[in-house]
Amino acid sequence: MIRRRLWYPRTFFALALLFLTAAPAFPAGFSIFAQGAKASGMGLAFTAIADDPSAIFYNPAGLGFQKHFSVQAGGSLLSKTEGEFEGANPFPGTGFGVEEQRKTSFLLPTLYAVVPLTSNVNFGLGINAPYGLGFRWDNAEEFSGRFIAQNAVIRSTDLNPVLSVQVAPSFAFAVGADYRLSSVMLERNRPAINPFTQSVVDVAHIKLDSELQDNHGWGWNAGILWKPMNAFSLGASYRSKIEVDYEGTGKFTQRPTGNPAFDAAVAAQLPQGKEDVAVSIEFPASANIGAAINLPADFTVSVEADWTEWSSFDELFIDFVNPALPDLDRFTAWDDSWAYRGGLQKKFGSLAVRAGYYFDESPQPLADVGPILADADRNAYTFGIGYDTDRWGVDISDIYIKFKHRDTRGQVNTDQFFGRYSEAANLIAMSFRLSF
Amino acid sequence: MKRMLFRAAALAGALATLLPPTLHAQTTFHKYVALGDSLTAGVEGGCLVTRHQQRSYPKLVADALGITDFQQPLFSERAVSGPAGVCLGAVVAGGTITVGAVSQQGVPTNATLARPYDNLGIPGANAADLVDLRVANPSGNTANRFAAAVLRNFPSGPFEGRNAVEEANLLSPDLVSVWVGPNDVLGAALAGAAIDGVTLTPAAAFETKFSQVLTGLSASGRTLVVLNVPEVTSIAFTTTIPRVVVNPATRQPVLVGGNPVPLLGPRTTDTCSTPPCPLPAGTLVTLGASALLAQGIGIPTALGGTGQPLPDGSFTPPATLNQGVLLYPDEVALIRLRTTEINSRIATVAAANGATVIDAHALFDDIVAHGYEAGGGIVITTSFLTGGLFSADGFHASNIGYAIVAKEIVQRLNETSGTDFNLPDLAHTLFEPDVPVITATGVVDPTSGPFGFSLPMWKDLVSTAVAGDLDFVFPSPGKRAKGFFDR
Repeated sequence: MIRRRLWYPRTFFALALLFLTAAPAFPAGFSIFAQGAKASGMGLAFTAIADDPSAIFYNPAGLGFQKHFSVQAGGSLLSKTEGEFEGANPFPGTGFGVEEQRKTSFLLPTLYAVVPLTSNVNFGLGINAPYGLGFRWDNAEEFSGRFIAQNAVIRSTDLNPVLSVQVAPSFAFAVGADYRLSSVMLERNRPAINPFTQSVVDVAHIKLDSELQDNHGWGWNAGILWKPMNAFSLGASYRSKIEVDYEGTGKFTQRPTGNPAFDAAVAAQLPQGKEDVAVSIEFPASANIGAAINLPADFTVSVEADWTEWSSFDELFIDFVNPALPDLDRFTAWDDSWAYRGGLQKKFGSLAVRAGYYFDESPQPLADVGPILADADRNAYTFGIGYDTDRWGVDISDIYIKFKHRDTRGQVNTDQFFGRYSEAANLIAMSFRLSF
Repeated sequence: MKRMLFRAAALAGALATLLPPTLHAQTTFHKYVALGDSLTAGVEGGCLVTRHQQRSYPKLVADALGITDFQQPLFSERAVSGPAGVCLGAVVAGGTITVGAVSQQGVPTNATLARPYDNLGIPGANAADLVDLRVANPSGNTANRFAAAVLRNFPSGPFEGRNAVEEANLLSPDLVSVWVGPNDVLGAALAGAAIDGVTLTPAAAFETKFSQVLTGLSASGRTLVVLNVPEVTSIAFTTTIPRVVVNPATRQPVLVGGNPVPLLGPRTTDTCSTPPCPLPAGTLVTLGASALLAQGIGIPTALGGTGQPLPDGSFTPPATLNQGVLLYPDEVALIRLRTTEINSRIATVAAANGATVIDAHALFDDIVAHGYEAGGGIVITTSFLTGGLFSADGFHASNIGYAIVAKEIVQRLNETSGTDFNLPDLAHTLFEPDVPVITATGVVDPTSGPFGFSLPMWKDLVSTAVAGDLDFVFPSPGKRAKGFFDR
C-alpha cells in the first residue's frame, strides 16, 4: 500500500519534469495557448475543429468524434526575438540606455493520448504546460529594475484526463480533471542606502524558489462540440480556475559593498539560511467559443473568441513566514481579457496548408507593467502545413507574435519604473500523431 | 489665389481665438530664480559646498527646464582643519558607524559673478531676512554671514542695500520659487526650546514678512512657486533617539520588569515631583543628546547612568538661548501648531499673489509614514544615515532628498503651467556616491558617542543653523566687480 502511494507521485513527477517549462510570456498574461501544431497553424482557432488529440486541451468534446486509439507527441520552440526596455526619467532615467531581456528559447512539449472505451465514449489524457512565465533580464546585477525582478519564473505541468461522450452523431460533450503542478521563482536584489556615500547600493540577493512536487492544485475542464450540418460546427470549452498555494523558501545572499563596517551592519540584519515563504497564485478560468465552416474546394475557415478571467489575478502576495521579514504584497489588479482568432485551411488531399491571425488582449493594466512582467496586446500571424492519413499525421507551424509597445512614461506605475518595453517572439510547433 | 489665402488666414485667426487656453500656456522658462534658506542653498551635513550645491533642488530644476546659465554662490571643499563649517558624514569610530567631520567648507569660487546669483538661498534666513536683510553683517548671525556671500550686499559690496527679493527682480525671471519658513520654526527643534518670539516666529509676524516677499516678487507673466514648511518635529534630528534607555550594543530598549525605562529630564511630571524625572510619553530627544547619553547623562543610576537629567532648552532674557536636547510634549504641540498656522498663512498669501503652493508638509508627512517610492523598488525613508532622505546632520536633506523636491516642483510645473519638462533623473542621484571631492582624509572626532554626535560636534551643527560661526573668505569689498549694474 505504501509502495503504491509512493510510486504514483514519483513516476508522475519524473514525467512532469520532462514537461516542466518556463516559457516567455507569449500569449496574454502567462497563459500559453499554443498547445498543438495544427491549431498553431490556424491562428489557434481550434475550439470548433478539435479533430486531433490536442482537442484534450482545446475542446475535449472533439474527442467524441475521434474513433481510434491515438497518441500525439509534439513540442513548441518558443523564442523571444526582441525584448527591450528603454528607461525614462525620473526612474530609471535615460542613463541606463536600452536594456535587454535574455533571449532564451524554450521547448514546450505536449503529449496527448485518446483511448476509445466504447463506440461513443473516449478517454483522453493530456500532459502539457498551459501556463508559464520566464521574464529574465540580461546583466542582472546592473539591470535598473533589479530591485524588483531580475528573473521571474512560473512553471507548470498539467495532467489532464478527460472523458468524452458522443451523445448523437452531431453532438459530443466532455469533462475532465486538471491536476496542475507548479513552481514559482523570483530573483531580485535588495537595495540599501550606504551611509558613507548616501547612495543606493546592492546589499543582498534574494531568491524565492519553490519545488515542483510541493505545489499543486486541482481544477476541471469541459467542452461541447456540435455539428448541426456536415460543413458547420460550433464548439465551446471551459477550463476552471486553479489555485496553487506554494510553499517555498527565500534565500538571502549578501552582496559585499566594499565597506567593511557597512557590510558588517548589513550582515547583522540579514536573515541567515533559508526562510520559509508562502505564495498563492490563482490561475484564471477561461472560456472559448468558436465556429468552423467547411467551404467548397476543401477550404475550412475557423473563428473563435476566448475569454480569460484574469481578474482573479488581482494580487501577488509573497508571505515570509518569519514575521520579522517584510512581505511582498503587490496589487496587480489584472482585467479579464479577450482574444479573437481566425484560421484558414486548404487541403490538397492528405496535405493541408494553414494560415491564421489572432489578436490577444493583455490583461495587465499599465500600472502593473514592470520588470516582473511587461505584458502587452499583441498581433500574431500564423502559418502551418500538415500531412494527415488515418494512421499517422505530422503538423508543423509557426507563429510570429508582435507585441505592441508598452509605455509607462508619465503614467501611474506600481514600480515607479518608467520607460518603454518592446517585444517580439516566434514560436515553431511540431507534432506527430499515430493512430491504431 | 491671394483672396483664398487671405480667407484661409482670416479663418485661422478666428479659429485661434476659439482655441482652449491651454494651447497658449507657457512651454518654456528662460530665467529661474530660487529664494529661500539653507534647504534652497543646498546645505547638507551642516555645510555648503559645491559638491552639494551642484545637486541643490534649484539647480536640478534649472537643469530640467533646460536653463544652462544657472549661477550659484559656490564654495570649495577642503580637508578638515578646524571646528567650524565642517561637513558631517558617516565615519567609523570605535568599530561602529557614527557621524563625524569628513570635510570642511572652503572659499567662494564664483564670487566675482557680475550679476546676482540665480540661487539666492541664504542659510539661516527666515521670512523676515528675505526682505529686511539689505546690508549683511559678515560677522553677524548665520543669515547675515551667508547673505554676505549669497547676496553680496555687505557694506561696500556690489549689491549693498538690496534684499533678496530685489536681487531676484534684477534678473527679470519668468519663474521664481520661494521656500522660506522652515527657519521660523526649526530653531525650536534644534535648540530643544519652543519659545514664542525667540525660537518660533509668531504667525502674524511671519505673514507680514512673507506677504512682502511675494508681493515684491509677483509680476505679470511670472510664475511663482511656493513651498510650505515641513513638520520639523518629524525630522531625523528629533526622531532618531528614543525616549527610553537603549542598550548601545544591541540598540534595543533596555527592559526592566518587561517595560522600557524612560530617560531622565529636568521637568516634574504627575508621578514625579522631584527632578530628575522620567521623560513623559511624547517627549522628543534630539540628536544633540547622543554625546550626553554616552556619558551616562539622562540614564538612571540603576542602569549605570549618572542619574543627571538631559538638558531642556530655555531662554534667559534679554538674549540668551540655553540649548537643550529635549522637546516636551507641550513644546512639540506648540511647534506643530505654529507650523500649521504658518502654512495656513503661506496658503493665503500665495493665493493672493497668484502663486502655486507645493505642499511640502504633506509630502514630508507621507514620506514619514510610508517612505518615498523613488522608483524601481527603492524606498527612501527618514531614518538617520540609512534612510536616504536626510543628510548626516539629521535635518538638512541629502542629494536624494533635494532631488525629490526638484522632481515635485517640475512635476507641479508641468501640471499647472501646461509644460512638458522631463522630470529630473532620480536614478542618477540615487546611485551616485556622495563623498567629499577632496583627497585628504577626514578627521574623526575621537569623542563621538554611540549615537553619532559628540557634544562639540552637535554644538557646531546647531550653530550652523541657528547662530553660527561659519568661516569663509569674502571677496575683497574694494574690488567691486564691474558689470551688471554698470551697464
